[in-house]
Amino acid sequence: MLVYTLILGFALDSLITKGFDQPDSFAFLNRFILYYFAFEFVTRYFIQSAPVLDAQPYLHLPVKRSTLIHYLLGKSMFHLLNIMAVLLFAPFTFMAVWTRSGGSTALLWLGSLILLSWTVHYFVILFKKRLDDTVWGLLSILGMVTFFIAADYFQWFHLTQVSFLIFGKVERLPLLFILSIGLFILVYLFNSRAFLAGLYPDEWTKNENTHRSNRYDFTFLKSFGWIGEWINLEIKLILRHKRTRTILWMSSLLLLYGLIFYTKDDVMQKMPDIMLFAGVFVTGVFMINYGQFLFSWQAGHFDFTLTRPLSIRQYIESKYWLLVTVTFLCFLLSIPYVYFGWKILLVHFTVMLFNIGVNVYVIMNMAMWSPKKINLSKGGTLNYEGVGAAQWIMGIPILLGPYVLYLPFRWMGYPNIGLIMVGLAGVIGIVFRPYLLSLTAQRLASLKYKIASGFRQE
Amino acid sequence: MLDVSDLMIAKGESFGLVGNNGAGKTTLFRIILDLVRPSSGTVMINGKNVQGNDEWKHYVGSFLDEGFLISYLTPDEYFQFVGKLHGYSDVDVKAFYHRFEEFFHGEIIGRGKYIRELSKGNLKKVGIAAAFMGNPQVIILDEPFENLDPTSQIRLKQLLLEEQKNNSLTYLISSHDLNHVTDLCQRIVVLEKGSVIKDLKENENILAELQAYFQA
Repeated sequence: MLVYTLILGFALDSLITKGFDQPDSFAFLNRFILYYFAFEFVTRYFIQSAPVLDAQPYLHLPVKRSTLIHYLLGKSMFHLLNIMAVLLFAPFTFMAVWTRSGGSTALLWLGSLILLSWTVHYFVILFKKRLDDTVWGLLSILGMVTFFIAADYFQWFHLTQVSFLIFGKVERLPLLFILSIGLFILVYLFNSRAFLAGLYPDEWTKNENTHRSNRYDFTFLKSFGWIGEWINLEIKLILRHKRTRTILWMSSLLLLYGLIFYTKDDVMQKMPDIMLFAGVFVTGVFMINYGQFLFSWQAGHFDFTLTRPLSIRQYIESKYWLLVTVTFLCFLLSIPYVYFGWKILLVHFTVMLFNIGVNVYVIMNMAMWSPKKINLSKGGTLNYEGVGAAQWIMGIPILLGPYVLYLPFRWMGYPNIGLIMVGLAGVIGIVFRPYLLSLTAQRLASLKYKIASGFRQE
Repeated sequence: MLDVSDLMIAKGESFGLVGNNGAGKTTLFRIILDLVRPSSGTVMINGKNVQGNDEWKHYVGSFLDEGFLISYLTPDEYFQFVGKLHGYSDVDVKAFYHRFEEFFHGEIIGRGKYIRELSKGNLKKVGIAAAFMGNPQVIILDEPFENLDPTSQIRLKQLLLEEQKNNSLTYLISSHDLNHVTDLCQRIVVLEKGSVIKDLKENENILAELQAYFQA
């Protein structure tokens, strides 16, 4: 990624002047600097973790608390993302800005950008500490985005113009530079304040967990016997941990994924086949995201599962019903897409059958491929714990599967038959459910010793 | 490596397992519970191989470590869940709580804490009690006395003896505490580097012999 950034940095000038046919690359670029920072914010939000927990091993040592905080905040600077701005803009500064506008302008401009990028770095830490995993955090971001889109739409102002006014006026660059320094110091001070107030390890972890007991209990599930009990258990798991809640959030957001294609008439006309992809993804979004770690989630009590009066077959069956029910639910939620045409609903229904009949077994079986333990007490977004080879390639068969059946018929000129084949495959999978579940259970039974010993290692 | 040949544990016997760290006590228990596949040999409970068979799970209660608990449930939810697996009604669960009231010492039920927030000692209490759910015939416990406070250790010992008297249970218990384990068990097996090197039965002066062995 770093190399790409650097390559992009070197290519930036000629890309703008030649690729976009803009003579003044400096002015052009300045119009998009705000977008760059918005992008950086999002990237950092997902990749960066708050360095609070790193404090724990040092807390009992004879070190002043403020020193410790400065150490932690300083250490957080050593992050690849913090040289992104340098790599991206430094080549451009020296190749384009220096030669045209002179050394001082170039250095002030670059300096401001780097400082602002680091300001974003600390701002994200503060943001994550205060607002992460709360409704407010999400709402404030959504609100901001809506506001800017509205501003653009109703012609109040264009973000590109604002961006140019801030970064593009050469005579105001010294002021910008001083402001950047000020902002950087300010956000750093806010951070150290926030950290100083919250250095007690108990508070970071416990406020999430206590006082919530017994809140959710889906008693209606009890009428489904032991399958209901195990699904109820799994729902509690999902609702009581940050990482799984994040998956739930993400899944509900990704239900809107279809809008990317369906709202564009030209896309739909040129590539109507994309509907299959969108349909598999929209109806299977939870199945894919949650199912890829199907066994890792409950790694902490795998030994429990194996020693209780429950056969492996029953265990697999409870997993199956959980995934299938949610997939059906996703389909129901995707019904409003019918607004963009009946065809979409039909395709969604067909691929939902495929998801329930075929993909669910693909996911369950691939999730058995040397799963790793997931420590649920750790945080949510972009936590790579539990990711193994299987998770990287799992998407391929799931998303391509329907096309293998569909495309041959489409190329022969019978797209509808292709669609029927996809649905038929799903129906066959549903009809042969007892047999396929037994096969899956047999596989887990033979792998269980290996999986259990893997889960026991921290 | 574990190398145990022909170990028979009779019905109603209290079987104690001692040995230093790494002797293979937990591994032996895991093999008995079909959690680790033995490279050779079989484990039979009531004449049936534990491998590829789920029947024994109905009458073998076990607690080895935290992997036998569900960290994100409260103890109440956990007991209800395990109870349901054994076909308990809500009344049965209440009766079960009553049996363990003294042992729990008011620290487990109805506190609204998740299991992952409990102290090590209370975790142990939850796990041990859950092993008794579903009226098992065999109970396997790994280091049940570890982390318990002195009062709880004494109560646990009384509890185990009483339960055995009432329900004619078979115990498999490992421990580092020679006093407790000799008080409880009529038969003590010493493991060293995976092999049985002593098999001591009642009427001998077991405690003295064990102490002599571990001193050497």
